[in-house]
Amino acid sequence: MAALDTLKAFFEASLKPSPVVFAIGFAFVLFFPVLLHILVTQKSTYTTLPSVLLVGPSGAGKTALLTLLERGPLSAPAGEKPSLTGPASPAPTHTSQAPAAVELAVSTDGTSSFRDDLDATGATAKRFLLIDTPGHAKLRRLALSHLSPAKPSTSPTSSYSATPKSRLKGLVFVLDAAALADGDALPATAAYLYDVLLALQKRASGAKGSKPPPAIPVLIAANKLDLFTALPAALVKSNLEAELGRIRKTRSRGLLDSGVGADDDVAGIEEGDDWLGEYGSDKFSFKQMLEFDIEVEVVGGSVLGDGPGADRWWKWIGQRA
Amino acid sequence: MLDTFEILTTSGVVLWSRTYAHVSPSVVNNFIADVFIEEKSSVVGAKDGASAAVNPPYKYDQHTLRWTFEKELGIIFVAVYRSLLHLSWIDKLVDHIKTIFVKLYGDQLKKPNTTIVECLKFDEYFDQQLHELEQTGGKPDRSEVRALEDDADLEIPGEKSPAPPSLIQRSRPHDTLDSSPVATPSASRPSTPGVNHLVVAKAGPVAKMSRRARKGHNTNSGLVSSGDEGSAKKSKAKAAKRGRKWDADGFADEDDDVQLDYSAPNAITSDSEAEAAGRLGAVEEVDASTWGSNTKGKFVLRDLGEEVHSILASADAKNSIEKFDSPAGLVGSSLSAISGLFRNVVGGKVLTKEDLDKAMKGMEEHLLKKNVAREAAVRLCEGVEKELIGVKTGNFESIDARIRKAMEASLTKMLTPTSSLDLLREIDSITAPPATSLRKARPYVMSIVGVNGVGKSTNLSKICFFLLQNKYKVLIAAGDTFRSGAVEQLAVHVRNLKELTAREGGKVELYQKGYGKDAATVAKDAVAFAAQEGFDVVLIDTAGRRHNDQRLMSSLEKFAKFAQPDKILMVGEALVGTDSVAQARNFNAAFGTGRSLDGFIISKCDTVGDMVGTLVSIVHATSVPVLFVGVGQHYSDLRNFSVKWGVEKLLSSN
Ligand SMILES: Nc1nc2c(ncn2[C@@H]2O[C@H](COP(=O)(O)OP(=O)(O)OP(=O)(O)O)[C@@H](O)[C@H]2O)c(=O)[nH]1
Ligand SMILES: [Mg+2]
Repeated sequence: MAALDTLKAFFEASLKPSPVVFAIGFAFVLFFPVLLHILVTQKSTYTTLPSVLLVGPSGAGKTALLTLLERGPLSAPAGEKPSLTGPASPAPTHTSQAPAAVELAVSTDGTSSFRDDLDATGATAKRFLLIDTPGHAKLRRLALSHLSPAKPSTSPTSSYSATPKSRLKGLVFVLDAAALADGDALPATAAYLYDVLLALQKRASGAKGSKPPPAIPVLIAANKLDLFTALPAALVKSNLEAELGRIRKTRSRGLLDSGVGADDDVAGIEEGDDWLGEYGSDKFSFKQMLEFDIEVEVVGGSVLGDGPGADRWWKWIGQRA
Repeated sequence: MLDTFEILTTSGVVLWSRTYAHVSPSVVNNFIADVFIEEKSSVVGAKDGASAAVNPPYKYDQHTLRWTFEKELGIIFVAVYRSLLHLSWIDKLVDHIKTIFVKLYGDQLKKPNTTIVECLKFDEYFDQQLHELEQTGGKPDRSEVRALEDDADLEIPGEKSPAPPSLIQRSRPHDTLDSSPVATPSASRPSTPGVNHLVVAKAGPVAKMSRRARKGHNTNSGLVSSGDEGSAKKSKAKAAKRGRKWDADGFADEDDDVQLDYSAPNAITSDSEAEAAGRLGAVEEVDASTWGSNTKGKFVLRDLGEEVHSILASADAKNSIEKFDSPAGLVGSSLSAISGLFRNVVGGKVLTKEDLDKAMKGMEEHLLKKNVAREAAVRLCEGVEKELIGVKTGNFESIDARIRKAMEASLTKMLTPTSSLDLLREIDSITAPPATSLRKARPYVMSIVGVNGVGKSTNLSKICFFLLQNKYKVLIAAGDTFRSGAVEQLAVHVRNLKELTAREGGKVELYQKGYGKDAATVAKDAVAFAAQEGFDVVLIDTAGRRHNDQRLMSSLEKFAKFAQPDKILMVGEALVGTDSVAQARNFNAAFGTGRSLDGFIISKCDTVGDMVGTLVSIVHATSVPVLFVGVGQHYSDLRNFSVKWGVEKLLSSN
């Protein structure tokens, strides 16, 4: 009640043509745009960095890779006392629920190792963001929203909101090559990859007329090659291609989605809209993605253990960023 | 003993951990998936930073996990130990560690774009806490005694007369706990805050006892038990024990308790009195922490202990002050109201519970109007509200828009299945397994259950039609051996389907054994027959049954065992009202342990327009995904359920 009264008094006073009110009003008009500008711009400081996205099924090793690359420079400071601290090691990880971004640097020619500490060597460095996404099926929307041409929706659960206009320079699809060896993981992994590639394809072909958005190359990182059960990269590639082909076939024969064709977007469904790669082709191969300017490369490696390591992935990332 | 203690972020990075015995990472991974991602209704806890004592323990593979969550920073604190053990102090440890860790590293944790937190030194803090709590865990420590004693001193003048019933209540837990120190925490500790306050509030006589006891034993009074600590602590997330800094923190503690006593909804004291008590408490706590240095000294990790205690004490003090501080004066409040309005338009407003409450009511109404069961609507709204408290709205974003966005996200998360279903792909992998796998080719078995008259046979025929179009050989088994006319009805469907798909190259037959036979046996025979005759898919119809019909429901378990279906789908009507939740639950539980429903088909979706709330209700109740929706009378009117479509309908405003 009392609050209301003061408010009322305040309101009445503000309507009287007193110099104070004029002054306040004037000041308000003057500063409002400035304030607004500050409000709007303060948030977008990180969005200008180029970024590389990590996607892939849960447990593939995305977060492990992210932490490995981030902690790289810590393990061998300035290259002076090499491997006193041993090789760089990733942090232990568990299932992710929220995306995470890490700022990394690579020398401008893209050849520095992730173990080099660029600040110490004084080389000119390019900075970029590596963005890790959760792989749990219920949370894949967060990753896929980065790929849609429309504005990516931000994740409400994380304090880190998906960088809206991030300049996406590349996409790394991490998968567990050891799990792929036995039955069930292959269809699940391939299904996610299918969704990712299809999103990229739609992004490339969707922008008809206007100039297409810059192409996003894809690295398929076959992880955990340190385990002896893991499939080698070449086998991973052929298995994935075969499985993607199968998925493509069954999806084209599948039921329509609810809502499709019911409303006004009847015109929206075209034959072959959901067909990945060259339409009507019998076998799928990653080469078909080149038609949409999407380069796909399969490279093996490992985050842990004494396998092939992550250097080739880093090189790929460094060159695209 | 503790197996492992981990501090990890929501993005999955373990910031700090201590392992005493190896625990498979899958334990924590499953915990995260079940509690945080899938939010299974059986295991959810408060995700807004409630104390570890309030969050239900998560059990997996002989391990028990106690945990707490720091929402703003997105950090989970989790302790893992063998379920066989009984560690009464564990929830306290988790809470204390959280307070200390956040205090020490909060600033580092707020840095953007890094996952590195330098916390090697945390080892010592952890050791100190562990040591302290382990030692005092099962026994009383003097701060408790002190606390109670002073509780008594403060309580008795004010509350002597109105207390009798509560006195009884108060002393009972004490006695039981005293005689048997190992009581189950969940059993002996009430879980609602209100009750806690009450329990703590009755300090009077017991405290006297404990003072006497203390005089008797001085160093080691056996009277006040861990259970008591539990309740004292629970009343305030991080209240209670600070171990070595006995007297000093004893004061702090007991003041807390006193405040809570007053704040408890028992209407004994007026608000102003409560506030006064709060102020008093705060002042004394500050004093208390300065005294600390004189009173302790026997401990190895002395300096650290001191620091830890002052961190815990100041966290308590802050808590209680926050709780009792009335919003600033009049001018302050109206000013903040105005700036709040302004920010609501421009965005960048930090949301508080008051801001949200009204808007959430609106959202709840909206969901109810869409036919979402009240239970599900309430929980969804609660989840969203918890998630949004303390969140800053975006630029030019109103509260309603923010809520809508959060609701969209949580509906999407709920409705999205944990593994997507590509039915054709799955059938192929069963009927023509890859050469590398050791499985033998066999027909794919699918069965359909549901209450009477929801359209089981119709939807079964729709699925059959779809399969026939894809050139599969389908055997339909008439598992409804109960309702007269059921077999004939199926026969008609099969005849129609044969005609319709003659050109497509599919093949369909009916397997029937008339009425009165045991449905489970018929189903089993049908599967064997299909394997012999080279069918690809067996679709088993079942008798409709009311979900509360014990006898018929129990036969489902045998059915699942005999027929070994790859998929059990339940048909539910989009129309049903409040009954849908109970139906879904009972059917989901009917197949015995280790087997549940694989998905729902929601029929008659075309008749309800936007009121598709039923599907939210049943997914909420069972965590089983909706796979298909029926949208009409024709065989071709079956659709994959699209989450995006569902969410759009649910949130559309008309
Ligand atoms: N042997 C071996 N294990 C690895 C390797 N890379 C990661 N791991 C392990 O795989 C597990 C999962 O790794 P994460 O990085 O958490 O998986 P993720 O991809 O982030 O999974 P989500 O966050 O659930 O999407 C961890 O226990 C890692 O230690 C590797 O190269 N070799
Ligand atoms: Mg991860």
